[in-house]
Amino acid sequence: MSALSGVKVLELAESVSGEYCGKLLTDFGAQVIKLEKPGKGSPTRYLGPFSNDIRDEENSGLFAYLNTDKYSVELDLDCAESQPTFLSLLAQVDVVIDDHNASFLASLGLNRSCAEKQHPNLIICSITNYGLEPPADRKHSEDINVFHNSGWGYHTPSGADPAFAPLNGAGRFLPSYEAGLEAALCISSALYEKADSGLGNFIEISKQEVLASRIDYVLAQMISGDMNVGTDRTAFDLGGPAGIFPCEDGYVYIWLSTVSHWEGLRQLLDNPEWMANFPNNWLEKECTPERVSLCRQQITEWLTTQNKHTASEQAQKLGVTLVAVNNAQDLIRSPQYQHRQFFVELNHPHMGKSVYPGVPYLLSKTPARPRTPAPLLGQHNTELLTEKLSNALEVTE
Amino acid sequence: MKNNNQRGGPLQGVRVIELTKVWAGPYTGKLLAFLGAEVIRVESEKSLDITRCYGVSDINNAPGFKAVNPEKLSVQIDMKSDKGIDLILDLIKESDILIENLRPGAVKRLGLDYETVKSVKPDIIYTSMGMYGNDGPLSYQTGYAPCFAALSGISSLVGYEGLPPAGMNVRYADSTFGTAAAFATVVALNHHRQCGKGQFIDVSAVESMTSMIGDSLMDFALNGNIQTCQGNRSIDMAPHGVYPCQNDEWICIAINSEETWKELTLQMNQPQLSTDNRFSDFTKRKHNEDSLDELISSWSNSHDAATLVEQLQTVGIAANKSMSSVDLVADHHLWTREFYREVKESNGSTSTIVGPGWKMARGAKIDHGAPRLGEHNAYVFGDILGLSEEKQQQLADHGITK
Repeated sequence: MSALSGVKVLELAESVSGEYCGKLLTDFGAQVIKLEKPGKGSPTRYLGPFSNDIRDEENSGLFAYLNTDKYSVELDLDCAESQPTFLSLLAQVDVVIDDHNASFLASLGLNRSCAEKQHPNLIICSITNYGLEPPADRKHSEDINVFHNSGWGYHTPSGADPAFAPLNGAGRFLPSYEAGLEAALCISSALYEKADSGLGNFIEISKQEVLASRIDYVLAQMISGDMNVGTDRTAFDLGGPAGIFPCEDGYVYIWLSTVSHWEGLRQLLDNPEWMANFPNNWLEKECTPERVSLCRQQITEWLTTQNKHTASEQAQKLGVTLVAVNNAQDLIRSPQYQHRQFFVELNHPHMGKSVYPGVPYLLSKTPARPRTPAPLLGQHNTELLTEKLSNALEVTE
Repeated sequence: MKNNNQRGGPLQGVRVIELTKVWAGPYTGKLLAFLGAEVIRVESEKSLDITRCYGVSDINNAPGFKAVNPEKLSVQIDMKSDKGIDLILDLIKESDILIENLRPGAVKRLGLDYETVKSVKPDIIYTSMGMYGNDGPLSYQTGYAPCFAALSGISSLVGYEGLPPAGMNVRYADSTFGTAAAFATVVALNHHRQCGKGQFIDVSAVESMTSMIGDSLMDFALNGNIQTCQGNRSIDMAPHGVYPCQNDEWICIAINSEETWKELTLQMNQPQLSTDNRFSDFTKRKHNEDSLDELISSWSNSHDAATLVEQLQTVGIAANKSMSSVDLVADHHLWTREFYREVKESNGSTSTIVGPGWKMARGAKIDHGAPRLGEHNAYVFGDILGLSEEKQQQLADHGITK
């Protein structure tokens, strides 16, 4: 039992954003019924990483990650004969998640105007790249397009060299994960209201707006005329010597912005000579390019013989915000992640035992976590279609 | 519970107390306010948030603060005095949610930790936000947004192929962390509605970031593969990149099918590329991606980005300009959808803010800017806590509500 036990969700989504949203809800105990194309299933079943390089619908690590605890039901939504089944499922659920487009929703009678009349108690959440009415020059897009249409791409990395192309964010699907999280927030809010009013809601998530709202601190200042806009690739930056540095066994990130950081660094480096020429408050008041460059150079030199984890431990104890640049292996070995039990082991019938990323929030009364592996294609056809429908038909008769 | 907030929205009637600083915590509060909750920021002259002071002399007109705090209320209570803490506890008794993102151990020192708060308000939903979470072997460590990204695995994946990691823009992380905290908090509200119980929520910034690259971790878990920087490339598509155009502008192109690849070669006036042995299917294009990208760059280089985008979109190709801050602020679509919207400031003027990432059929009104320091003292002390004017004056005289 968790906070969303008893909530029923119908997932029409077939890409990362909607499936991630559904996953966030199942982590809290919601029952998510995933409709899949008969014999084929969700397109995410055909995206890697694949387990042992077996490229079939039951070996996608992406699908396995996004669909833990869900119920898979095969139903051909293009086929008129499926309509009664679809309507019967719709009548049983509180929430519908979709990540196609406006015409897809309309074809199922789930566009806003129809849904408000036909399904006033239903919460419908649509996730798209630019909203349900994209302009002509944004009809076709992938996650990388949205990332570059939100301001993040042009300004990544910080301190960008204008000779290099603006850069994509981490991994393949960051815009989709962000949008899925936003959708889950909106759906859980709508569920809270529905428990009282009985009313549904129509929620429209635009990935572009989600990403642009994540930079509100800067963008709102720009839009209100309080911060300069321009074509400068460093327009979002903070400057200073902060950044990623190589070390003996990888990379570390160092943030330096205050006198106390500077004093901590002095202790950490054992009061080296070069620091004597810097005013104590230079980070706050006299941060010149020459000083930044010299400081970075000296830190780089010091780090050549440092291990990322031991250096960060020493630095943190002196109040210097130096941290390791971790990779996947570091995370699975991290004592902090182990302490919080972030990774969860599941046994998938085709892929076998593996750890899965869990959730970033620990709730004392209603913990969230993936509990059962993603469903095989059509695994719940009998349970949810044949049995439920014959029951429903008996009632009708 | 008295509540004069009638903006509608799914969280209307919910009251949130914010003991927050800078960006992540205030962002959580902003999302809840945008969903209809009444969000009260507890502030004080003695411990002003840096965003109220940064780069300005007028603390009531600080652009950074205004950016992240629209539709909130502000009350002044001195957290460094016992009477102030008592007042905050009284206010918490009249509230549903407490959000804090102070430094590790700070709420305990103040006497506002979960156990203390729970003793006066047993059903409080208490959301605590920390870089590494509330406890554990590394929870003593602190850092800012780019540290969360570095620790989470995010930074190691952002960079040009074959070069050291460069990391996301320095601004990334706080707002995503804030959203994860908001989601967990609202889920707890659902639980509270079912059974009347509150709970403690411990949110980790670093783990919130890791959640944005879950599939990359699956690659390691399943295959022992540690993913590295891919530039603008993807294992699923080729071409998939950002290419130079005239006037130092850049076009982003993602080819998601053999049909669109063929179409791109036509638009490039190089139809022979689609049958070229190096590029005739996805696997070959992926294998020869360096030469593929060079060919596209040398073609795109002489074109105007916006014109090229229009041309490629017409034939079904996923293409767009990499948007600078000018492009973003001038984006017609964001204005049309009222993502940028006007709000009223307390001095009667209007200003423009950044709206939420959603539209909702029955959403909350969002039409007020950020509060002046202590703008809602009278409402909070008088209407919510029922203190007489005389008592309020006493508190002010003792500097408790400064």
